[in-house]
Amino acid sequence: MRKMLITTALVALMAPSMVMAKDYSKYGIDKDVAGLCSYEAIDAKDYSGRTLSIITHAVPVMGEPTALHAKQFGELTGAKVKVVHVPFGDLFQRIMIPFQTGQSAYDVMFYGSLWIGDFNRYLAPVPEKYRNSKAMKLVTPNYIDVATLGKQMIQYPIDGDRHYLKYRRDVLENADLKKKFKDKTGRELQVPATWEEYDEIAAFFNGWDWDGDGEKNYGSAEVVKRDDLMFSAFISRVAGYAKHPDVKGGFFFDLETMTPLVNSPGWVRGLEMFIKAQRFMPPGGNNFGLGDEIFSFGGGQTLFSYSWDDAFIQAMEKKSRIRNKVMAAPLPGSHEVWNRKTGKWDHFDTPNRAPYITWGWTSAVAASSKNKDMAFDYLCFFSNQANTPHDLQIGRFGVNPYRSNHFDPAFWTEKLGWDAKVADSYVKTLSGMDDSKNRVFDLRVPGVGQFMSSLAAGVSEAMAGQKTAQEALDGVAREWSRIVERIGKERVRDAYANVVALEDNLR
Amino acid sequence: MLNLRHKYVFLLPGLLVLLAIILFPLLFTIRVSFSSWDVVMPGLDWFGGRNYTRMWADGRFWEAMQRLVMVAVSSVALQYVLGFSLALLVWRNIRMKRFFRVLFLVPMMTTPVIMTVIWRTIFHESLGPLNNFIEMLGLPAVPWLSTASTAVISLVIVEVWQWTPFMFLLLLAGLLSLPREPFQAAAIDGAGPVRTFFNVTMPLMAPISIGALIIRLIEASKIMETVYVLTAGGPGTATETASYYIYIRGLREFQIGYAAALSVTYLVLMIIALTIIAKILARIMILKD
Amino acid sequence: MFVLYRSLKYFVLLVWSAFVALPFLWALTTSFKTANGVVSGATYIPWLQYEPSLEGWKVLFRGEGKGIDIITPYLNSLTVTLSASFISLLLGTLAAYGLSRFSWRAGPIRNADITFFFISQRIMPPIVLSIPFFLMLRMLGLLDSRAGLVLVYIALLMPIVVWVMVDFFNNIPRELDETAMLDGCGPLETFWRVILPNCKPGLVVAGLFCIVFGWNDFFFAFILTFTETQLLPVAIVSLNSSVTPWWSLSASSLIAVVPLVILAFVIEKYLSSGNLAGAIK
Repeated sequence: MRKMLITTALVALMAPSMVMAKDYSKYGIDKDVAGLCSYEAIDAKDYSGRTLSIITHAVPVMGEPTALHAKQFGELTGAKVKVVHVPFGDLFQRIMIPFQTGQSAYDVMFYGSLWIGDFNRYLAPVPEKYRNSKAMKLVTPNYIDVATLGKQMIQYPIDGDRHYLKYRRDVLENADLKKKFKDKTGRELQVPATWEEYDEIAAFFNGWDWDGDGEKNYGSAEVVKRDDLMFSAFISRVAGYAKHPDVKGGFFFDLETMTPLVNSPGWVRGLEMFIKAQRFMPPGGNNFGLGDEIFSFGGGQTLFSYSWDDAFIQAMEKKSRIRNKVMAAPLPGSHEVWNRKTGKWDHFDTPNRAPYITWGWTSAVAASSKNKDMAFDYLCFFSNQANTPHDLQIGRFGVNPYRSNHFDPAFWTEKLGWDAKVADSYVKTLSGMDDSKNRVFDLRVPGVGQFMSSLAAGVSEAMAGQKTAQEALDGVAREWSRIVERIGKERVRDAYANVVALEDNLR
Repeated sequence: MLNLRHKYVFLLPGLLVLLAIILFPLLFTIRVSFSSWDVVMPGLDWFGGRNYTRMWADGRFWEAMQRLVMVAVSSVALQYVLGFSLALLVWRNIRMKRFFRVLFLVPMMTTPVIMTVIWRTIFHESLGPLNNFIEMLGLPAVPWLSTASTAVISLVIVEVWQWTPFMFLLLLAGLLSLPREPFQAAAIDGAGPVRTFFNVTMPLMAPISIGALIIRLIEASKIMETVYVLTAGGPGTATETASYYIYIRGLREFQIGYAAALSVTYLVLMIIALTIIAKILARIMILKD
Repeated sequence: MFVLYRSLKYFVLLVWSAFVALPFLWALTTSFKTANGVVSGATYIPWLQYEPSLEGWKVLFRGEGKGIDIITPYLNSLTVTLSASFISLLLGTLAAYGLSRFSWRAGPIRNADITFFFISQRIMPPIVLSIPFFLMLRMLGLLDSRAGLVLVYIALLMPIVVWVMVDFFNNIPRELDETAMLDGCGPLETFWRVILPNCKPGLVVAGLFCIVFGWNDFFFAFILTFTETQLLPVAIVSLNSSVTPWWSLSASSLIAVVPLVILAFVIEKYLSSGNLAGAIK
């Protein structure tokens, strides 16, 4: 029903564009879609003689669409648009140094949305006309939430990111392998619903050639490299154990006391599982960064993977040898969930799943920018409803569904030739995260870099066997308390209250 | 003797230009180390010595310091021995002299940030060529970057590959500008190659050797991007060196004040250490006979 | 005995050559791969083991956005590196000569201390220095410009020149200066006409070090620029996205090293042209 409504709405939206006079197909889009920042609307503006500076991610993920739409924007409006591309690991400091020294270096920034806690005071709020645009109204609640701090929208949603499970369909649906698995373990081979099942299956399929290509295959590819994006992978693994659906008031901290919860039993269990998982990662897997994970799963080496879309998209590339052999599913959960109010493990018959609304690419306009009008027009144009369907189709762009009308399996089957079942699993997994009432958000507070880097250091020590899981996380908790003290308890609490409000569905 | 008034013409331009460029950043860094400049509070407030007391109790920093000593000393020692040997080999006439001389310089000319990425692909345990070779020889694959000891060795291999040419070039140039008389004298005395090396070559090469060792120790200690790309300090903290730790605290976490305190301490410790090392090296190499 | 020594010598040279060259050969073959060629394990021979593609090279010339435009950063890097190296070499050599030939004292400070002061400028980890350098260039209006980078690089490169050249000058006998003086040369003329030609190896080494360090600096070139000025390493790294593009980084590592290798060939012959024994007679 909902889907039908959306389709009707889409048709209604598209109708006027059919009679449009001007043809913009040379820009590679199907057709212009009327709206606040349609090609026609932007074409009508004149920004000649002005310069727009943009900082974005390295080419191609986010970097290429940024540059593509910058070029189009320049051609349509006469503005001079300059783009600089920066690898993710160096992006934060490159933006922060000019902010802190009062240098107005960039008008538009593309960056990781978890930095909202640090960047917010340097950002310009999104003006009302953009917030009320048709295109914005279609953005799903999760990504409106990600873009919003308190009551104010200060980031411009241009992408949807999330962690979910990816698995090899050709293995999990293979009758032979199913039988083998059952003979060995006595259980049916199914898409894992808990991390324990994930482990069992990954362990079984580790270290032998199950796809018959002459090379060994492995169980699980994960992002484990310290100071890469390991902290996000770890949070994904912990969420099911530590985010109790009935316990409100904080996942990273107890909001009332600001006591860190990272060393509570739920987190420790998650870490213990993470440590164990090293046994069924590919050789060198405990040093995998995001790029390695994408190659490993996307290249057909491993059975499971979870994190951002990239590995899935890589697997589904036209020339990929495992195209249409992968599926998406929600992250595994847990039957046992730590209840910090009662201090006990609660049992759930249906595994508790807590979708981690991972940070991802977002964009914003600098408060110090002298070109705010042009900057917001650019972002609005970037994400207009003609450009987004175009960008969604190009895997390397890294633009993933974030509007309700993107969750249509037909789009992926027709435009990209995906198998219907694959497209269906992808769309269902993604849209399902929007319906969850037990979401985990990032720690969107000032100094998030400090919190996450000390978390990664602690987790990494435990992974390397230098400390036990409990010792390592106790260390992280102590470190977190010190960070809270340094930054100011009230300041962190105020910011964290916004995160908790999102998690507890108070809005 | 030389006209003394002219001596200022030589030294001062360089010295003053350097001071003009470096003085502000240096003083600023020292000042920042007494502030609480971080991600939420940019600026120069007065924070007293709290960054320094925090550092005193920061086990990770001191461990990283020790690790740095180990990595820097071992890689520089290897670079010196290898660089000197290679320089001796291509010093005198050999076939394809120019080819070898230029080829041996090339690794130094690559951009570390990019070359380390390539090294990471070489060390890649399932997709890289190194383990592929090893397995073709029938030996067990090596977990290059995923155990503590091998990760350190990998780091040293990359450092040796990249920077042995530095030693090689400096020492080769030194060898080539040596005067001939001492060698002729040694030959007349009937000294063999080994005795000539220890009695003539080494003493003559001592000053340049010390210079080369000191500058390489300085540079090797700053190792940061290489660590970031190869292992990001892992597994655990196995490859977390002091300068990488300062990078994490300073730019990743944006604790500028604290990172400044670490940097200033690092600077002071390095100056002390290098002074001592230079004295010891001078004693070993020059005053031996 | 002699034959054994000789074959051992060439054996060592060949082993080291292989160690030096293999990463480049790996980079060369990798540069013709695509993601599909990379994920199927280590492969070496195009067509036979993997489907070669020029994508890794093309992307370097495709221009802003779809890849990078490597030409402009290349020229920027050349300009900045050569300017900074030249100025550093000039000032550094003069200073080194001053330190080698005259005695300096100011309180407890002696020649050796001044020399050490120069080189000590390289000890400081660049991380925290980036902020004051940023502020300084901002005051001078030189952020995001080549001139600003040249200024910073002078501070980074000159110490190396001084450090290297002091040793080389010390190796040149003072009699050489004195003879020239007796012939009626002024100090500057002596330096220029007599001493410099005799330490070409030193100049070659110092100059090459300057160019190597200037050409390959990533950190300052990265922090002190925005959208206007881009140096080569920064431009190349802007291809390092979520997936590390093994192919284009391999291609660019080869492209970036070319000018320096050519330079090395050109200056190698000056390495052995400081024949002091001959000069004294």
